[in-house]
Amino acid sequence: MHWLDHTILDIHQALVKKTVTPLQLVEEALRRAKADTWNTFEITTEAHAIQQAKALTTPEVNNPFWGIPFVIKDNFSTQGIQTTAGSNILNGYIPLFDATVYQKLIQAKAILIGKTTLDELAMGGTGMTGHKGYQYNPFDASKTRQIGGSSSGSAAAVSSGMVPFSLGSDTGDSVRKPASYAGLVGFKPTWGRISRYGLFPFAPSLDHVAYFTRSVEDASILTNLLSGPDTNDATSSTQPLPVYHFSQTIPGKKIAVIHEVMDSIQNPIILQRFKQTLEALTKAGAQIDYVHFPLALLQAIYPTYMTLSCAEATSNNANLDGLKFGPGYQGKTYQDVMMQSRTAGFSELIKRRFVIGSFVLMKENQQDLFLRAQRVRRMIVENLQKIYQTYDVIYLPAAPTIAPKFTDSSDRLSSQYLIADSHLALGNFAGLPSVTLPIGFEQNMPFGANIMGRAFEEATTLEVAYVVEQFTGLKNLSILTRKPS
Amino acid sequence: MNVEAVIGLEIHVEMQTKSKMFSTAPVTYKADPNTAVVPLDLGHPGTMPVVNRQAIINAIQVCHALHLQIDSQLWFDRKNYFYPDLPKGYQITQNARPIGSDGWIEVMVENQPFKIRIERLHVEEDTAMQHHYEGFTLVDYNRAGIPLMEIVTKPDIRNGAQAAAFVEAIRQIVSFLKVSSGKMEEGSLRCDVNISVRPVGTETLGTKVEIKNLNSIANVQRAIDVEMLRQERSLIAGIPVQQETRRYDELKKETILMRKKTDAVDYKYFTEPNIVPISLSQDFISNAIHQSLALATTKRTRYQGELGLSEYDAIQLTQDVYVSEYFDQLTTLGNHYKLYANWLLGEIASYLNKANLGMLAFPIQPRYMALLMTMVAKGDLSNKQAKELFEIMVKNPGDPRLLAEKMNMLQISDEGYITQQVQEVLAANPQSIIDFQQGKDRAVGFLIGQIMKKTGGKVNPTLTNQILIKLLKSK
Repeated sequence: MHWLDHTILDIHQALVKKTVTPLQLVEEALRRAKADTWNTFEITTEAHAIQQAKALTTPEVNNPFWGIPFVIKDNFSTQGIQTTAGSNILNGYIPLFDATVYQKLIQAKAILIGKTTLDELAMGGTGMTGHKGYQYNPFDASKTRQIGGSSSGSAAAVSSGMVPFSLGSDTGDSVRKPASYAGLVGFKPTWGRISRYGLFPFAPSLDHVAYFTRSVEDASILTNLLSGPDTNDATSSTQPLPVYHFSQTIPGKKIAVIHEVMDSIQNPIILQRFKQTLEALTKAGAQIDYVHFPLALLQAIYPTYMTLSCAEATSNNANLDGLKFGPGYQGKTYQDVMMQSRTAGFSELIKRRFVIGSFVLMKENQQDLFLRAQRVRRMIVENLQKIYQTYDVIYLPAAPTIAPKFTDSSDRLSSQYLIADSHLALGNFAGLPSVTLPIGFEQNMPFGANIMGRAFEEATTLEVAYVVEQFTGLKNLSILTRKPS
Repeated sequence: MNVEAVIGLEIHVEMQTKSKMFSTAPVTYKADPNTAVVPLDLGHPGTMPVVNRQAIINAIQVCHALHLQIDSQLWFDRKNYFYPDLPKGYQITQNARPIGSDGWIEVMVENQPFKIRIERLHVEEDTAMQHHYEGFTLVDYNRAGIPLMEIVTKPDIRNGAQAAAFVEAIRQIVSFLKVSSGKMEEGSLRCDVNISVRPVGTETLGTKVEIKNLNSIANVQRAIDVEMLRQERSLIAGIPVQQETRRYDELKKETILMRKKTDAVDYKYFTEPNIVPISLSQDFISNAIHQSLALATTKRTRYQGELGLSEYDAIQLTQDVYVSEYFDQLTTLGNHYKLYANWLLGEIASYLNKANLGMLAFPIQPRYMALLMTMVAKGDLSNKQAKELFEIMVKNPGDPRLLAEKMNMLQISDEGYITQQVQEVLAANPQSIIDFQQGKDRAVGFLIGQIMKKTGGKVNPTLTNQILIKLLKSK
């Protein structure tokens, strides 16, 4: 096993002992990136990565990110490195500034290997809609299954073992759902915990910086590296950083399982495995209760999410008009240029979402659609708060199925789709810390569970996840530690 | 048919803050095109707005001056539309909750007080500047994002004179608070007029016409007056007024159609998600108000009351904030208030006018100007000498006493010295004494000439005259 196959903290130990060097890690990561057959990359940053690795000679004992290779989703602004967000309208776009999170990683001397594919403009959950085509799931050797999205390439890069962690973004479940399909820890902290400066906005009131790691502890150290107030993001919080106490036991922790979500899941293997983890949590000292959540509100998650996210998206992406940057579509008038750019630059799916967004914001519809969706969001958040008056975390299967096939189609009016496949967006509505981690396999494909805690209680959230990780033993899962069939 | 006009104004005030409304780019009017920009001003993906604190303080101060209710929470909305001067594809503004609402201001129109209600004041960002050429257009993003205040009146205005008085009052407020340079000709203050006419006594409003691109307060008045006439004629002739946007043509002295207004654009407003509502504490608001600089009206009251100036002087001194500040500085250095006012409105004004300079560029420091004034008041300098010295001082700013000495122009008012000189001249010219006693007045002129010659013209002429006459009479 190569040192690259380990978690960040384990690699760090090896780097400190000089058992491995940043250059060896980077060369191996690049070798694997070049051998990539899952369509993971928008761009690799080989020359720069090698140069950076060569410059790192004295290990920093207290900096676990020193010399660690990583990748980021191609919707983070990286100065001088092309960033397209998976959309033709940004082909050739070279950003002028660094996203705050990217800057923090570079300052910690982590090494960027490349930028990864996504559903176009991070809008989508399949990994099928980016301008580079399908993103394949490394756990499925037959290449018939999705990895989910929109942080598709970032999930593939970690689960295929190219890098020990990657950055993504999560507006509905764009990290936490692929984490379930790819056997990874996928974490998004509280809204405001991490600066979004430089993250291409999809729907700012729901957008989060999120990440994939192969262990809960790695997620915790990454959280503390990336968190903190940022003068460039007025929504970033000054809350003190979380302090973690990882332990085999969590005596007295109160865990809620939502009845109505469980009822919407049919897969017996997922349900059974989930129940085993509940028993393990009980043994670790937690108190677990099934609680009720208004069914109508759960069924409203998806339409509410679509209404709000499309509305914000149509406005956020109005800057992509072809006038200031992008491939330079021509036209006789400014209207022509805008029309050409946006017609050629966006896929049908994106246009559909923009039309929806525009429609719900129109004067005559706003009250009925957009403002109503905002009210529903508020009601959902209030109901969550009620649960958190008693419980520390909500614990649920992250998804009702293993990674779907590209050819699968889902019944979007079924309760499995509306509830079990959509409930992760609760964490975006309320901006709560939410972590997905692998708990088991079906047909040799991983599936995960999700823990969602109170605002700014990242520590509790990850401490509960740690107990589950200890029970499943699925720490550091990748196709290198568990071969795909 | 008697008709009346119903007029409302929308005034945009560009603030002179250090940085832009939501970005760190500098606010400047002199930079080369597209150099005062950061990625946010160009709408680059991933940039985020951060509210400029000073712009909010400015808005609070103007709200206070206009008796507006100040919202304790700051909310921003997006106004969505596509246009080349709008880099983000939306403008961040305040739609649902303006920072100020329901205020009023009283202005003087033909010596009568006239009250105008103000609907709202909100804060927003400016758009980029377009430069149209034959066949192409260039865009300068330096202006994109500069903080703006928009002030909207109720339709209380009935004619051009009232409108002009209102715009002038706003100009004085924003320039005295140093929130804006308040110059219409430079576009830092812009006024759009909404105007309709209706038969007197009717309540329903006529069709509204908007007049845009007015470049001076005088033109606001002229445009309104000719537009009122145009609409009135139209109404009398039975031709319905069209809903449209017009501009004022200075040469033709009439309003010209720019575009017909079709259905109003749907801006699809919604709350800006990247700015969480900001609570403005009572402390913050009162501190902002407390820090306000004195308004022109406040200064006028002081000039007329405490300093005893005429209404005319008080008004003239408060046309320009920097003139009044210079005057204020002089008043801390001496008490020759009337003299200060005369010189500021006379010599200094005409110097600045000729040199085409603003008060800020006036080269003489207040302490030297005050010294010069003291010298004039004490009679150390004749008016003529003071003016000569002033001409020198604007070129070589420095201590007027040293300059006067160097130029040998200090006027001597020492009675003992003058008496001595007069006696010496009289002793040397006995014939003149006889001439005087025989009633030949020109002897006085001759003797004064001799004294001036003897003293190099440095003695105070009034005093010298008095002493000479006294001595002659005593002979």
